[in-house]
Amino acid sequence: MVFHLDDDKRVPLQQAAALVPDGALVALGGGLSARLPMALVRALVRRGIRGLHVVGSAHGIDVDLLIAAGAIAVCEESYVGFEQDLGLAPAFRRAAESASIEVRESCCDTVLQQLRAAEFGLPFLPVRGVRGSDIGRLHPEYGQVCCPFTGENLVAVPALAPDVALLHAPLADARGNLHLEQPYVLDERFAAASRTVVATAERIVGADEVAAAGVTVPAHVVAAVSEVPYGAHPTSCYPDYAYDRPHLAEYVAAAGAGGDDLAKYLDRYVTGQPDEDGYRAEVGADRLARLRGWSASTEAWQEMFR
Amino acid sequence: MTTWTFDEWFVVTLARTIADREVTFHGFGSPCAQVAMHVAKRTHAPRMMLVEGATYAVDPDPPFIPPTGNDASLQRGARYRMRFEEFFDAAIRGDVDRMFLSGGQIDAHGNTNVTAIGGFPDGAKVKLGGGGGGCNLSATIKHLTLWTTRHRSGRALVGACDFVTDLGHHTPAGSRAELGYTGGGPQWLVTELGVFDYVDGCVRLRHLFPDVTLDEVRAATGFPLTVADDLGTVPAPAEGELAVVRRIDPLGVRRSEFAAAELCRSFDEDAG
Repeated sequence: MVFHLDDDKRVPLQQAAALVPDGALVALGGGLSARLPMALVRALVRRGIRGLHVVGSAHGIDVDLLIAAGAIAVCEESYVGFEQDLGLAPAFRRAAESASIEVRESCCDTVLQQLRAAEFGLPFLPVRGVRGSDIGRLHPEYGQVCCPFTGENLVAVPALAPDVALLHAPLADARGNLHLEQPYVLDERFAAASRTVVATAERIVGADEVAAAGVTVPAHVVAAVSEVPYGAHPTSCYPDYAYDRPHLAEYVAAAGAGGDDLAKYLDRYVTGQPDEDGYRAEVGADRLARLRGWSASTEAWQEMFR
Repeated sequence: MTTWTFDEWFVVTLARTIADREVTFHGFGSPCAQVAMHVAKRTHAPRMMLVEGATYAVDPDPPFIPPTGNDASLQRGARYRMRFEEFFDAAIRGDVDRMFLSGGQIDAHGNTNVTAIGGFPDGAKVKLGGGGGGCNLSATIKHLTLWTTRHRSGRALVGACDFVTDLGHHTPAGSRAELGYTGGGPQWLVTELGVFDYVDGCVRLRHLFPDVTLDEVRAATGFPLTVADDLGTVPAPAEGELAVVRRIDPLGVRRSEFAAAELCRSFDEDAG
C-alpha cells in the first residue's frame, strides 16, 4: 500500500480502468446485487482485459459478466450467483464445469482474515474452520499452525493483497474520499489491504459534502476516481436507485442461452457501446429514472420487485 | 376456518426451531429461513436477536421481503447495522446461537454440499453458487437448523455428499470434537416431507407432514432412515404465525424455493 496524496484524482472512466493490468489480482466491491462496480467491469470488458484473478465474498453479475467476456482465469469468490430468485450464474457455471477457469472457491471469513493479514502487514493469520470441509482441498496454499500459548492447531491462511480494488460509491470528492452506505460488505477491508483502489462514484461533490455524509474509504488509499452516474447498474446503489431486476433477468437469460444470445447482450450493452453514455442510452433514461422511484412509497418500492 | 398453504406451514415450522433470546442468522439466497426469522421474532421469540443475512442489520422491520438478500428494505427500522467483519468475528468467537443452512446435498450427519454436484474441481456435473460463509460459520455457531425443499427429488438427502462445503456432526475428516470445533452442529432438519432431529450425530425423523407417508420419506432418502418411537405429525401453524408470514412476505419470495407441485399443497384445521 502506497498512500496517494494528490489533491485531484478525477479521471475519465477509461483512464481509471487502465490502472487494472491483464492478469491482476482484483477485489470487486459491493455484494450480491448491490453496489457492484459495473461501469468499471464494462470498461474492462471493452478493453478486452484477460487473465484476471478475482477474490471476494458473494457476488453476481460482475463476476459472471467478466467470465462471459473471457476476462477471468481464477475465481476465488465465496459465491457467484443470483440467489433463489434468478438462480445459478450461467457463465460461471459453464466455465467451472468445463474447467475453462480455475475455481478456488473460498469462504467469507477466510477471505476476511487473509485481507486483514495484508492490512496488518503480517504474512498469515490463523482461522478457526476450514478443517473438515473440502474447501481446504481447493487451497494447497493454506498451511497449519500450532498456537504457542494453547497448543491448538489452526489453519493458517496467507496474506492476500489485491493488486487493485474496484469500488463504486454514491458520493466522492475530487481527492477520492468515498462515502458508502451500509452494508459496506468487504469494501473497507479491500481498500485497506489492496495495493491501490480505483473508484467510481454516482456524483463527485465538494469535500465538505462527503465529510458531512461520512468518509467510509479515505482519499489516501484511492488512486483514481471517476464520476459515473448509474455506475452500479443493473445492481443497486442506495440511496440513489434500487436494482434493476428485469435487466438482471435479461442478462441471466442471455448468459444461460450462451452463444448468439450472450454475444448479442455483450454487443448491445457492453462492447458495442463506446462508453457509459452509450450504455445508459441503450438501457433508457426513463427506465433508469424509474429505479429512483423506490423512495416514493412502500408500494412503489415493492412493485419494482414483482 | 383457518386454511394455509404448504409454503406457509414450512416457514412456520422453520420459525419454531428458533428459541427466544437466541442470536440468529440466515445465509443469503434463503428466503424461507429469512421469512421464518421474522415470524419467530414477531411471535414466540420477541427477544431473539435477528441478524439479516446480507445486510447484517440487527432486528430490522422490513416493509416487505425483497427477492435479493442485499437490499436496503432489509435494513429498514434497524437500530444498528453490523459490519461484515463484526458479524463474522462474533460468529467465529462463538457468540451466535443459530444459523440456517441448506444445500444441494445433505447427508445423514448433516454435512451439506453447496459447491458442486459430481466431482469438484474435476468432473462437476452442476457447479452450484458456492458456500458463502458457511464453511467457517458451521464450525462455531452453536446450533444449525438445516432445511431443504427438494427432499422428494431423491437427490437432496444422500448417502455421501459429493463435496462437503459446510460441516455436520461428523465429517469424513473426523468429528467436531476431533476437529476442535465449539459449535454444536445441526439440531433440526426441516424438509417438505417432515421434521428431523439428531441423535448421536445422526438424523432421525420426528414429525411427518399429514399428507406424506413414511414409505415416501424412505423412498426419497439416500440413507437408511431412523424413525423416532413417538413419530408424530408436524404441529399445525397458529393464525398469528400465518398472519405474520402473509404480512412480511407479500411478494411471496419464499415460494421461489419450492417445486410447483409443493405449492399446490393446502391444508385446513380439520384435515390438519
